[in-house]
Amino acid sequence: MSNHQILNFGDHAELRVHAGVGTVFGDNVMACLIVPGEFRAVQGHYPIVFRRDIASGAFSALALFGFENGENLFLDGDRWDARYRPMAQNIQPFLIGRAASEGQSAAQKAQIHVDMDSPRISASGEGVRVFDEDGRSTPYLETITARLGDLDRGYRQSGGFHAALERLDLLEPFTLEVPLDDGSRHTLVGYHTIAEERLAVLDGDQLGELQAQGYLLPVFMAVAALPRFSDLVARKNARLALG
Amino acid sequence: MKSRSVRAARLFFPAAQDNVGYAPGTMKTSVQNIVIVGGGTAGWLSACVIAARRTDLSVTLVEASDIATIGVGEGTWPTMRKTLATIGIGEAEFLRECDASFKQGSRFDGWVDGSAADSYLHPFTPPPSGDMRDLLAAWQASAPDIPFAAAMSAQHAICARDLAPRQRAMPDYAGALNYGYHLDAGKVAVLLARHATSRLGVKHISAEVTGVTVRQDGDIAALELRDRPALPGDLFIDCSGHAAILIGDHCRAGWIDRSDVSFNDRALAVQVPVAPDAPIAAQTIATAHAAGWLWDIALPSRRGIGCVYASDYMGDDEAGQVLQDYVQRKIPGSTAAQLQPRKLSFRTGHRAEFWNRNCLAIGLSAGFIEPLEASAIVMIELSLEALIENFPARRAVMNIHAARFNDLFRYRWDRIVEFLKLHYVLSRRTEPYWLAQRAPGSIPARLAEQLALWRDQPPSAWDFPRVDEIFSAASQQYVLYGMGFPVPTAAAVSLASGANRLAIDRLAEVRQRTRALSSALPANRTYLAAATLAASSPALPGELATS
Repeated sequence: MSNHQILNFGDHAELRVHAGVGTVFGDNVMACLIVPGEFRAVQGHYPIVFRRDIASGAFSALALFGFENGENLFLDGDRWDARYRPMAQNIQPFLIGRAASEGQSAAQKAQIHVDMDSPRISASGEGVRVFDEDGRSTPYLETITARLGDLDRGYRQSGGFHAALERLDLLEPFTLEVPLDDGSRHTLVGYHTIAEERLAVLDGDQLGELQAQGYLLPVFMAVAALPRFSDLVARKNARLALG
Repeated sequence: MKSRSVRAARLFFPAAQDNVGYAPGTMKTSVQNIVIVGGGTAGWLSACVIAARRTDLSVTLVEASDIATIGVGEGTWPTMRKTLATIGIGEAEFLRECDASFKQGSRFDGWVDGSAADSYLHPFTPPPSGDMRDLLAAWQASAPDIPFAAAMSAQHAICARDLAPRQRAMPDYAGALNYGYHLDAGKVAVLLARHATSRLGVKHISAEVTGVTVRQDGDIAALELRDRPALPGDLFIDCSGHAAILIGDHCRAGWIDRSDVSFNDRALAVQVPVAPDAPIAAQTIATAHAAGWLWDIALPSRRGIGCVYASDYMGDDEAGQVLQDYVQRKIPGSTAAQLQPRKLSFRTGHRAEFWNRNCLAIGLSAGFIEPLEASAIVMIELSLEALIENFPARRAVMNIHAARFNDLFRYRWDRIVEFLKLHYVLSRRTEPYWLAQRAPGSIPARLAEQLALWRDQPPSAWDFPRVDEIFSAASQQYVLYGMGFPVPTAAAVSLASGANRLAIDRLAEVRQRTRALSSALPANRTYLAAATLAASSPALPGELATS
């Protein structure tokens, strides 16, 4: 359930938000949408995969935190055990909305919305304020606003990036069989990764096209993220060992 | 000033062997059994700290059950957090059991000229690190109109908003800002007693002490108890309060009167219940009046308010009226006229010797001064710290430790007396009491010297060089510049230097931190209401790194 409202001082003067980490805030998710601009930071911690939306047919990119729904192997009580958290995970309970007005670019129409049904919305008087007494943004909201701006730009670039990957046939379906220490197996299906063989044989024009758009770096960052799968398996085995 | 018993002992045992460190093994040497007399804050705190830090010792506390504790020491220093952690009491338990709230400093209203705008804060969080000359210059250059404390610490804004210094998800006793507590002293003694006897193995004897058995060498051998066998011990700690039954009645350790500097000798105290949703102030409020000042300490359920005054300048009835007026002004709707204030008479001063042979005085038996900077409980903590860090392993070295302890605490009492006096000598109030406070004859020589030096340079560690100085240079700075003492002109000179750009950056960081903390910290009332219901409302994961 969600209850999206346009964030404004009039309605949200006293709003406080829980900015911490934990299952109570819905952080127990196995994946999170990411944008090409953050692939470099993401690949240091998480596997990067692509998923085709069945309805629209469009691809999106994800950072993986676990192997099944509700499993986040980076969540350790009130701690997120990685130095980088993907932006889409790090802006909750806020999101980008669009004003209905005509004649403006998508960026100009961007508004900050807040999901008032999120478990991060505080009713207790604890948590971080969004506005100060005078209606100015607090440092917390300034950080969120900057992050939302980056994320919005990233989303608007994502379409072109994923279209280029498809056009060059650089995505291939991927199935991961994960044998675990306790003898069980996990199978991860339905995702795509970068097709390395095809990447290796791109000609100069094709590479030049990727480079010109700024897509070359994120493509290789997605490749560089593949070893993070073994890190994820190690985290899973460590959990199993703890029982 | 030698005590009678010591002199008597020396008559019989000239060159007493325990004066030096090489006593032969004929006498019992190890210090094993600690006996504490008195069951107030000082007694139970001593029992807890000694038992927790020296599990090898045997600790016994004896108290007469019918003696009421004085119970006005209701503000602590930040040191109390470490003390509580050391003795193993959780912070939520402490807050809940002692009706406690957070204290982030003291606010002084009306001390400079008594006008409506006359108010300054002495916060617990020190100014940013760096040379105070540079910071003063940066303050004068960038924001001379804002109060010194507001320029130097985010705590000023946090206190003004009645916010807590920490979030519940933080580890116990950690804070975003430095803090101590306001508390119900009666409840503290109960909690500490339960903790000491049930978890720390302290033996508790309820009996009146009727006399002292003295060894040939003059040491206390045992305490005689009413209807009970005598209680022997190796070290006796006198926490009997003003009665001072060991250090005073028995040891006859001399008393050094400080009322020539510190004039106040009376207090009228009341407790005013507050509404369950009333805001809880983040600092002690000390409001000056014609012949003294009023304290105002906010706990979750009540406010402790008291009128401190000098009987030479104000009668009891007049003081009662001052108190009643304050309560009516500050807590509208309270039934101030029906309150029956408790009257306390005290004499300001301390022992010439706190530790005499095998008897050590801790708490009010050691000394008393008005609670203007809440020095009572911290002096208990400092005494225990000094005792345990330098514990006499053998009787043979006890007199060496005692002499050092006496030297250290004479030094500390001098610093307390001077620091409290500083609050008065910087005033411009004109009532006879305030004029007398500024009479040169009443100002200790060292304080007068400091003030002369501080015209040219700000207070620094050069002025306060000892271990665990009771009032650091930062405290002196907050009072000095809070009360409008002129900034040394040398500070302006440093404006040109590169160091000053650093100082300007430091003050910008304070402003940024002020904004961040103002938005991230909960109201005191919110925090304490949630903490007392902790079982049904667990702390949610935190959002703010401690610093």
